[in-house]
This record gives sequence, structure tokens and C-alpha cells, in this order.
Amino acid sequence: MAGLDPRGLVNRALLVGVSEYDLVQPPHGVPGDLPAVKHSLNRLREALRRTGVFGEREITVARSPSLDDFSRVLRQTAAEAEGVLLLYFAGHGAIPSAGDELFLQMRNASVVAGGHAVFPGAEMFTTVLTVLATSEARRIVVVLDCCFAGNAAWIWETFRDKRRVLLLMSVQANHRTDAGDPDTPTPFTAELARLLAGDGKDGEGELWFRDLADGLREAMAAGGHRTLRGEPWEPVSRAEPGEDVLLRAPAPADDAPHPPPPELPPPPGPPDPPRPPGRRAALLLRTAAGALAAAVRRTRRARVPAGRGRQGPPGRPRLRRRPALLTLALLALALLGFGSYRIVTLTGEPARCAPPLELRVLTDPDLEPTVRAAADAYLTSEANTTGDGCRRSGLTVYSAGSADAVTALGRRSRAWLEPGAGVNPQRDVGPQPDIWIPGSPADVARVTAAQDTDAAARVDADGTPLAYSPVVLAVPQAVAVESLDERVGVPLNRMIDALRGRLPEAEVRRPDPEFTDTGLLATVGLYGTQTGPGARDAAGAERRVAQVGPPSPTAADLLCALPDDDAVDERTAALVPEFLMKSGVTCDSRRRTPRIAQYPGDVPGLEPVFTRVRWQGGDRDAEARDGAAEAFRRWLAGKPGQAVFARDGFREPTGDRALLDEDRAAGVLHAPSRLTETAGRDATEAALDGYRNVGGPGRVLFLLDSSGSMGGLWAGPGGGPGLLKQSFGGLGGRDEYAVWAVSGTGDDPYDTLLPFGRHARRDAERTVDRTAAVRDAEADPHGALLAALDAMKLRGADDERPDLIVYLTDDEDAGHLTAGRLTDVIGAARAAGVPVTMVSLTGGSCDAGEPDARISEATGGRCLDTGDDLGTALHDEVARTGTGED
Amino acid sequence: MTRRPTALLALLVLLCLAACTGGGDGAAPAPSADVLGPGDIVVASGRDVTGRNGVRQRLIDAWNERQERAGSDYRARLVELPGSADEQRGQLLGALQSGSAAYDVVNLDVTWVPEFAAAGLVRPLPGTLVDADVIDSVARTARWDGRTYAVPFNSDVGLLYYRRDDLERAGLESTDLRDVTDWADLEELFNTVAEADLPGRERGWTTQLAAYEGRTVNAVEAFASAADGVALTDDTGRYTATADALTRGIAELRRRAAAPYTLPEAVRSDEAASLGDFADGRTTFLRHWPYAYRTLHETYGAEQLGVTALPGRAVLGGQNLAVTRDSRRAGKAAELIGFLTGRASERCLLDAGFAATRVSAYQDPGLRCPVTGDKPSPSPTGERPDRMPRDAADRPAYARTVLLPALRGAVHRPRTPLYGAFTQTFTAHLGPLFGADPPDDATLARTLDAALRRALPD
Repeated sequence: MAGLDPRGLVNRALLVGVSEYDLVQPPHGVPGDLPAVKHSLNRLREALRRTGVFGEREITVARSPSLDDFSRVLRQTAAEAEGVLLLYFAGHGAIPSAGDELFLQMRNASVVAGGHAVFPGAEMFTTVLTVLATSEARRIVVVLDCCFAGNAAWIWETFRDKRRVLLLMSVQANHRTDAGDPDTPTPFTAELARLLAGDGKDGEGELWFRDLADGLREAMAAGGHRTLRGEPWEPVSRAEPGEDVLLRAPAPADDAPHPPPPELPPPPGPPDPPRPPGRRAALLLRTAAGALAAAVRRTRRARVPAGRGRQGPPGRPRLRRRPALLTLALLALALLGFGSYRIVTLTGEPARCAPPLELRVLTDPDLEPTVRAAADAYLTSEANTTGDGCRRSGLTVYSAGSADAVTALGRRSRAWLEPGAGVNPQRDVGPQPDIWIPGSPADVARVTAAQDTDAAARVDADGTPLAYSPVVLAVPQAVAVESLDERVGVPLNRMIDALRGRLPEAEVRRPDPEFTDTGLLATVGLYGTQTGPGARDAAGAERRVAQVGPPSPTAADLLCALPDDDAVDERTAALVPEFLMKSGVTCDSRRRTPRIAQYPGDVPGLEPVFTRVRWQGGDRDAEARDGAAEAFRRWLAGKPGQAVFARDGFREPTGDRALLDEDRAAGVLHAPSRLTETAGRDATEAALDGYRNVGGPGRVLFLLDSSGSMGGLWAGPGGGPGLLKQSFGGLGGRDEYAVWAVSGTGDDPYDTLLPFGRHARRDAERTVDRTAAVRDAEADPHGALLAALDAMKLRGADDERPDLIVYLTDDEDAGHLTAGRLTDVIGAARAAGVPVTMVSLTGGSCDAGEPDARISEATGGRCLDTGDDLGTALHDEVARTGTGED
Repeated sequence: MTRRPTALLALLVLLCLAACTGGGDGAAPAPSADVLGPGDIVVASGRDVTGRNGVRQRLIDAWNERQERAGSDYRARLVELPGSADEQRGQLLGALQSGSAAYDVVNLDVTWVPEFAAAGLVRPLPGTLVDADVIDSVARTARWDGRTYAVPFNSDVGLLYYRRDDLERAGLESTDLRDVTDWADLEELFNTVAEADLPGRERGWTTQLAAYEGRTVNAVEAFASAADGVALTDDTGRYTATADALTRGIAELRRRAAAPYTLPEAVRSDEAASLGDFADGRTTFLRHWPYAYRTLHETYGAEQLGVTALPGRAVLGGQNLAVTRDSRRAGKAAELIGFLTGRASERCLLDAGFAATRVSAYQDPGLRCPVTGDKPSPSPTGERPDRMPRDAADRPAYARTVLLPALRGAVHRPRTPLYGAFTQTFTAHLGPLFGADPPDDATLARTLDAALRRALPD
């Protein structure tokens, strides 16, 4: 054990306080004098005198020394000490931009700014440590009360002789602090002195370095102190595992018996109590566990001093009690069961970081890269680091289709909490979010409006969005408008008309309105909000953005897909958020058409808004979770978070909505004069309904390969019937659909499991469960697909419903699709105008040239294989044809 | 003052005797008597995107049938989580910490066990659930801090897949690569195949080096294979590497990603992308997991596809089942886990394409999977549920000769409650190695060392 009781040894304390500086004027002066430091020195000296460790003559006070004076007194003091050597410094601290050194600024300090700032008249902390290490002192305690004090921690980490050095820093790294009232000590030293003095109650007992560090952290937190960046002010300490030193001894009058020295190293804190059955028991146990920790802390203070150190006053052993106490402690801890990690720390391991609280952060797919970058930066930031260097919280960032997220939080929160057999947002949308950052406050409003009294999630959105980015029409430079009047504020449809006027073959595309808010907000503009005969003509509006195949899921995908075909890239305008003009050009470095942003006057912009989500029953750690979420929110809305939004090309959320980063992307206007208002709940809801109902309800024919080889791919949610049932969720009450089982190679290549018609999802699932089965036969995909196309042609003759054929197969019988037969199928599908989506339960079926890939490509359907997340992808594909589940 | 702690400790002991559950390893009792009576036991498990999900459901169905036959009203119910491992971890951690979802049994990636155990989110289990039949290296993933917290459900290990037909066309006499045990041997093969200039082959091999867990896995394999083997942490998760050791590991990783041999897309590839590139014939070799054995046999015949142990060291993966702290049916949940991870179940998992966790699944001639589900009996059409070659006992043909030895020799990723912070740091700081202007080994090692020290503080 390495704790040192230094009483009786030659100890030294050097208290250095720089309250007056020679140079306090810009450009080279330090920020100003520090009158509070004078009081700090006085108060600390008084406190140290009363510790019983440092004699009156063992304390040296240096008031505002020059660098030379400081160096001299430091060397001298270091040379004298044999027991504990304490150095206290209060004054200005400075760091170069790299942040890898800490400079303690003495009276004659000055600053030469620049890329590599230098600090004449200051001592490098590395040098201070090196001088201290020349001492023969058994332990060296360094206390820093200055800005950036925590930056010393990393220097200590790499210091060769750190074993002897115990370091206490007033504030976490990279933070500055206010010295406080000029008539009182600095806030940190006031607490330091109070703890050393034992609140004036002499004889209260021993105080060890680690107790002091813990106490300071608690005291600063309890006092609500904040750093200049507004973060909680947290003292930091460093010491090698097991190292400790006594800093205050009980007054001689204290003749109370001391507890025996245990043979255990100190615990870092109370072990986590197990979860008992009742609240009352929980309270009792928590109290008991806390008492246990306190007890062990107290016993630790009385351990046998190490080595040559004083062996403690005679006549206080009480050693006979030790076995009982230790046995009880160990028994209690062993029985604590679940707190095993902390037990490890009690039985020989140094203090370790506990696994942090995990926050689940759901966002819009277009925002995910930015939110992820912000989360990565936050995770390792000072704001997310405790005084012990541990992380406060972990973050899991993910995205889900925006319409799915709104539906899941609005109408499916109960199922998200307790997934049932059919509806499982935990699988299909993702983790239950603690934080939701949708693309628009309108999403939150839609959730709130959709929730009923049975809702299991409560959403609480911030009043101010985190940032802003208008949805722009990114037009190929060669066909973009030139005058500002045409470029800003014109309704979207007029912009599109004008573009077609300049280039008749011009196309316009926008991302999937069900998948990202960008697509939905663009759709608000496309459908128009004015009254009159043309208002909300969704079908007409959709023709303006018609394209072969499904729309790109996200705006970034859209911008990356366009350069696949140079001709398409040159004639197509894209509705995307403005920020992607800067950050959305990182896909494969193909040549791309330069684009100019035009700012439609009737398309609302993206306004990511921080929304806390609280789950019914999920309140076990409510306070800590709220605190962690709030810390992340503050960081995102503060300077470091805004820097991430700035880098990605966003604008300020309010006011003039200036670009956060002046270094704007090509094609972007510095300050478009008119920026639209926040999207409304009704407008977005209406646009989504309109989009889903374009062309009316859909018609889907599912072909389920039921040949023998499907046997191994049949059971469970990922099997053929499971995928089929999951995709029913994309169909609404007005859609019609049928399911055929495909097997047999004769004249009858299929059996009808579910006839064409409207079906309640539950009934359809039951029918599939009851009737779908693997047959001992091969399948004839050629015959089945031709029959399916005939059936769809017949049914579609009298209406304009969107059609889709889905073929779920393991491709075991794809060999039946010889070249001639494949051509047959492709020809028939093209003639019928029905997209065919091929879903292969094996890998590689969608590789170029494979039959599945050729069929889907030729018909405008999709090809899905095990390289995709089949359940989700098929559901989304079917939902595009259907009107969505009610 | 000295008397008070003793009294409080005594009180705590009494409270623990009344309220605590669990116990030491081996002799531990079942997690606890069930607080609730019969009902649903909710099993949370990630969606299996590899196409073998049916077997897990079938095993759960089989347990339910057994309960029904016994007149019991307990039923296991599978709740699927997203396919992404990060999202699974986020949901399981967030839900168990806050109580936002009720799970009795959770399927944990082996790297998460220390984190969930240290946080007290899962319960200690009787050590007898992980008996001597469980492969030693795999059994270690179940324990933390001397206790058993989880039971191996299915394992995983890095393997080397290759094109036998390429080796033949390159003039090699034997396409059995059992003797290829280190990277230099493999580089020789890369050169031999490159000299044959086979149409379509762009590089020797591909693997998973994109910025996600795959990069961590590949890097740990390289580090463990470097001279003297570079370990990053000790058994308790304490960071033990030095900048010098990391320099050796980085040099090995750089060698493995070197341009002459490695498909350039590897630095952006995950499992699906690398599998696709190999299936497209762009490389002769591929580092991948056991599930690729089934998938690749959909594309290649047995005469075309070979598989062997990864030269050097391979990383152990897999998933373990654990009972949550909050389960109100913990006793029955542990019983369910015993069934799902028992000898017969492991044989079923092996047959379906998973790496089984028990030696008996690979070696016991009398052991067969009793759960056939909808698998049809041998049919006149000759159709099988999959195209994996099988041995005489109907196991995947490579199971006993390649897979089992690979699992036995596999290395662990760092076992630490801070694995999330570790892997994020490790992946991110190795990024520059694959960038346009990579730093030298020692420079990168220094920044990695500093970052890992910060991510894994003492």
C-alpha cells in the first residue's frame, strides 16, 4: 500500500500566488490582475497551518514572484523537503494552440500571440514537474488554481517520475474560469481551504489527498460553479493507483480510537446496489450501500503508513476488530452481486470508469452525417468528460425514414414500447430514441397531433431549432437563371416552368418525400398552397418530377446518383437542402455538373430541432438521462456544436439566418433576401397524404416461391412468409393485393393463397400463416411471372392504379429462366407496364447480369437480395405502391 | 466512530441476505425465483441479415412446444431488433438502463458482455450453463470479473475463403492451403495468382476496412499477428499497449492493406461489399465470417470454393445470451437459455450455417438436430434447403476440419466495459492509414496510443 502519513518528516509547502502582473495591456499583456489570489494565499496558509501536517516554518508563501524568483524558491523548497512537498500555484495559466503544454504565468509574464504562441515570463508545467522531481520528498503534491489547469493532466500522464506526484487541478482541461470577487479567495481555493481546515472543526479527522479531490469535486458541483464556457466547473485530479498522502491529521486532542488499517485499497465510490423488489427496500439498501462506502473510506484513512513513514501514534491499534470488519465488508460486497465491477475496484484494481449512460439519437436521414459528426466530437469533448477522465454519456446515432419516425412516435409508440407479432418499430424503425432530431418542427407537431391518450412516448421539442438550411433547386450551371429576382423568392412551380422554358428536356427530381423531410418540404412547394383550380393537384405536380424507377431515398443519394449519367446530370435540377451544396459532394469523385442554388419562395427549409423523447416506464434513471440529454443539447446549440453545423454548410437558426461559416460553397448565395417560414403541420401532412394517394390506391401481387428448396428459408421473420407479412404493413385499407404460392412445373405454376381484394392486415397474415407451406416440387418462375403479368394487365385495364409484382424466391429454380424465357418475361413485363420487384433470399442475385437484376431493371422495379436489409427494403418498396397502413 | 461502520455493514449483510440474488461462479444458483408466474419470456435479438434467422425461431418454437406438452404456460417470444449492431447495442443499453422496454433475455455481441455485466444490466448465471463442452476460447466470452454473465449462443471467427479454380489455373499442384499459416505465405500466393493474370481478378484479396467494427476486427487480427503479438489490453480491460508495440501492429496492418495485394475498395467495404466483390470474381481471396460459407456456395461450387484458417491470428466473434437484471421471470429465462445453447440446439445452429459453440456439435457422431422445421424430406426433385457441401454426418463439410480449429485458436478483441469508446477510438485513429497521405507507423502509433489512453483511462 502506498499511502503516506508524512507527519514527523520534513515537509514543505510552497504557496505561489500571482495577483499582480507587470503587463496587463494588449497586445502582449495578460488579461489583468487577480486581486482574489491575495486572499487565496492568506486563506490557504491559515488552513495548512491547522492541518497538523505542515509546521508554521514549513510553509513558504511567494506573492507575485517574477519567473526568476519563482524558479529560485521552487528549487530551494524542493531541495529541503523529505516527506511531502506541496506546491500551490494561483495566477494566470495559458496554453499554446496545440494545447499540449501549460504555462504558469508569473509577474513579468507577457504573451506573443501567433500560430505558435510563446509566453515569456511563464514557466512550463513540464519544467515545474522536472524541478520538483529533483526533490527527495516521498510525495509531491501539486495544486493548480488557474485557467486551463486541467491541461496539466496529460503532462502528468507522460511524466517519467509521476508515481510520486499527486496532482490536483482546479478545472477541467481547456476551460477558463473567473477568479470571482476581488475581496474573497478564488472559488476553488475557498473550497480547498475549507476542506483542509475541516470547516473549522478541528479534530474532525484525517483528510487524504483523494478525499480532498473528491470533496472539491462535490463542493464545486454543489456550488453550481461554471467555467467561462458555461460548463459545470469540475476540478480534476491525478495520482497513480493506490497512491495517497495524508494532508490533514486529527488534532492531538483527538484521542478517539482509530479504525484498524484494512488491507484493501480504497473504493472509488459506493458499489451500485442491486435492484431490490420495492422502493422502500431500495432506499434502505441505497442508504446502507452509501454507509458501507463511507465506512470503507473511513477505514482506509487509518491504514498503516508506508515505508519509513510514521507508523501512527501508539496505543490505537484495535487490531482485533479487523477480521470481523473485513469479513463483513467482503461478505457484504460479495452479496451485492450486480455491482461486481465496482467490487473489482475494491479488491485490487484502480478506479475505472463505469460504463456511461447511453443516449439513443434518432434523426432525419439527410441530417445523419452532420449529427453523427457532432456526436463523435461531443463524445470525446471536455463537456462529456468527468473530472476522472471518464465519459458522461455514450451516443448511438441512427436515422429512419421521416414518415416512419413520425408514425412510430405518433401512432405506434405503444408498439415501439412493446412490440407485437406484426408491428415492431424496434426492428423496423430502430431503437426507442431518447433524443429525436427531425428535419422540421412540423414533424413534432404531427406527432403530438397524432398521439392519443394511450401514447407511450412523450415528445418535448426545443423552442429554437439547432440550425437552418433552405431547400433549394440546384440547377445545372449552364441552364440556371442569372438575375437575382428570378433566383430568389419565386414559387417553385414557376421556377420549374421557367427552367423548362430555357431547356425543354430539363428534368426535376426530389428525394423520397416519405423518407426525408427534404423531399416532403419540396413536395409542399410542388403541390402549392394557394386555392383555386390548380391547388393541391398532386398528380399534376408529380408529373413535374416524374422519373424512371423510385426516387432517391435521400438528397445526398440524389446528388450522387445524377452523375451516373452525364446527360441526365446536365439536364436535371435537384431539390436538395442548401447545405449539401457544400458537404454533399463527397460521393465517389466522379465528374459532376456544377450547380447553382435557386431559392424557391414557397418551399420551407430544413430546421433540425432537438426533441427530448421520454418513454413510459423508462424513468428509472430519469434525472441522469435528462441531464445527459440536456448536456448534449447545450453543446449542440453552443459554440462547438454550431461549429459542426457551420462546417457542413448550415445557417443560423434565427434572425437573418446568416451562413454559420462565411466560407460558402460555390453556387450558394450569401444572403438570399427572402427565406420562407417554418413548415406547418397541416401543409406537410397534406403533402404527404397527397403524395401517398397520387394515382389512388395501389395493387400488388405477391408471388411466394414455395418450392422444396425454400424449406430452409421459411421460418421466422426473415423467412419468405415472414418477409411477406411484414410488407403488408406498407398497404392500406384501400389498396388491393393477392398472394400466390409458386410451385410446380406443369400447367398450373401457382396456387392462390389470398385472392385479389382489400384485406385487413391481420386477416391477411392469418391466411398466410394457415395456408402457406413448402411443397415438394420445383418452381417455374417463367410460367408464374407470365401468369402474374396477365392477371395484372387484366385488372389494370380499367383503372390507373399503381401496380407492382413482388416475387420472393431463393432462385434455386432460376435455371428455368433460360435466355429465351427470360426475354419472354422481360418483354411481357414491359408491355404490361408493371414493375416487378425481385426479392432473393440468397446472395448475389442482384449482381449485374443475373436474371433477377435484369427483370427488375427492365421493368422499373427493384432487385433486393441478402445484401439488403430485406424486411425493411421490401416494406418500403410495397409502401410506395400502396397508400400506407391506416 | 469505529463501531458505526461495523453496525452498518452488518445491516447491509442482512439486507443483502434478504434482497440480493446471484452468487459466485460455478456454484451460483439459478438467477432467482421468478417474481411473476407463467407468461411471456421476451428474447431481444438483432435481426439476422445473413439469412439463417429461421433456425433461431425454430429453436424458440421447439422450446414453446416443449412447454405446451409439459402443461406449462411459459412462452418465449422473439422481439427482433434492427440489423445494425450499433443500433442493437444502443437499444439494449438504453432500454435496460432506463427501463424503456422489458426484455428477459438479451442476445449480446461477445464484445458487449463486460459492459453489460459491469453496469449491472444482466445477472450472474450458474457457471454450469457454460460447461466443459463449450469451446474454451468461446467460453471465456461468457465471463467477466470471475463470474458467468452470458451463455455462448453462436460463435464466429475470421476465415480465409479462396478460389480453388484460380489456384489451379495459376499452376498450383494443391489447392489445400492448410500449410499457409502466415502472411508471407499468403503474399507468395498473391504473387503466383497475379502472375497468372486471370481475367477479372483485380487484386489478391479483399476484406473489411471501412470505418466500423470491421476495421477494428481486421486491425486486431493484424496486431495479434505482428511480431510478438500486440495485445491492447489485459484480461481486465486495462490498456497495456505502448507506442512501440502499436508501431509493430500498425506496420502489420499496413502490410495487409498494401496496394499491390488488396482491392482498393476494401477501405470502404463492410461484410456485404467485400462478399459481393469476391463473388463478382474481383479477388481470389477473401477474409470473412463462417456465414459466408453458405452464401458463397450459392455462387460457387465445392470444386471452386475453398476455405481455411486465416493466416496469423483470427478474431473471435459471436453472440451470447444473458438474463436481464429486471427480468421478472429470471429463473425460467435461464432455463430457456440452457435449452437454446444446449448440445442439440448447437448442432441445429451448426447445420444452419452458424459457428456452433460446443465441441460436441462438431464431433459427437450420435448428435443430430432434432428440430427440422419446414425442411422437406429428401425429395425426388433433389432440392435441398441450401447448397453447402456436407460431411457424412450432414454437417457443413468444413465444420470439423477448418471451423473448429479456427475457433479454438481465435483471439479476443479487448474485453473492457468501455468497449464502445475503445472501438470508436481505434477505428477513427486508424483512419489516416487508409487515407491519401498516410503518416508513418511511429507517428500514427503515438497518436493512437494517446487516444487509447484517453478512451481507456485507468
